[in-house]
Amino acid sequence: MSEKKQQVSRRQFLNYTLTGVGGFMAAGMLVPMLRMAVDPVLQESAAGDLVNVGLAVEDITNEPQRVDWKIDQVDAWYESKVGKSAWVYKNDNDEIVALSPICKHLGCVVSWEGSEQFPDQFYCPCHGGRYHKDGQNIPGTPPTAPLDVYESKVENGMLYLGMAHPRGEA
Amino acid sequence: MQWIKEDVKQYIQAKEYVDTVIVPLIPYHLSKDSELEKNAFQSEVLSIFAKEIEKELSGRVMLSPNYYYLKSGSKEEELNRINSWSGDARTQPFNNIFFVTFDSAWKKDEQALDGTLIWLPGIQSGDLKSNELHSFIHDQVEQIGEYIKSYW
Ligand code: FES
Repeated sequence: MSEKKQQVSRRQFLNYTLTGVGGFMAAGMLVPMLRMAVDPVLQESAAGDLVNVGLAVEDITNEPQRVDWKIDQVDAWYESKVGKSAWVYKNDNDEIVALSPICKHLGCVVSWEGSEQFPDQFYCPCHGGRYHKDGQNIPGTPPTAPLDVYESKVENGMLYLGMAHPRGEA
Repeated sequence: MQWIKEDVKQYIQAKEYVDTVIVPLIPYHLSKDSELEKNAFQSEVLSIFAKEIEKELSGRVMLSPNYYYLKSGSKEEELNRINSWSGDARTQPFNNIFFVTFDSAWKKDEQALDGTLIWLPGIQSGDLKSNELHSFIHDQVEQIGEYIKSYW
């Protein structure tokens, strides 16, 4: 008899604790979800600031060069360093152009003159996607859009880059 | 592409363009104190490594989850399991399967693996935050990228 009584109370005890854990987990899930829901602006800003990519403007030539830098990216689960890259050069009007190297087909990294057969073009090693120097995709190759363009500014002779946007929206 | 929802969704739509799988082979154990640090470090580096390669070639490459195995375990059993991963991928079909590892033990069994082994020697210890390590990884990623591309 006493054993039965004990079993019931043990079951109750477990029940209580499980409800407790479940409730705790639900709350834990809600917090980041809420943050994502109400605070997209705040998240953007962490990645949206223009950062110094460690390239002096005087070192930028007509020849595209690859720059790599890191940014802190915060998403709902963790904060991490994310590597970014760009192809940077000066165009004929002496304006600085910073193109995203991410191929608009399926996202491989393109290189300037990556294929000997196609000088003066960006070349994607994955499926032979090609782009003109200004980032315009070459018809007949897999990509269907031009390379994204980075927001950029110059401060104290250094290049700062922000987010990359589809061309025409930047 | 990685084994995450977003990427596999894209994969399904672009299957004909994705023909290469990379499987990191990472030994694990808790039994030999003197090796723990080295093995854990190599595990970290290899994961970063694999992710970086995936980033460069993501439109054509599927990075599988890491394959962990007990370092002291039977290689024969592992070979069977690993090859069943390959077999599964080949049904898609993925024509190029690469295994990347720091564990030289696989060198012996290279022939028995259903895929191409990329064994990376060296790197015993270091600081993941250091610039030297970053540029080391960067260089290796470039070379391995070239190697993988030579199969395309
Ligand atoms: S990912 Fe660049 S051409 Fe397919």
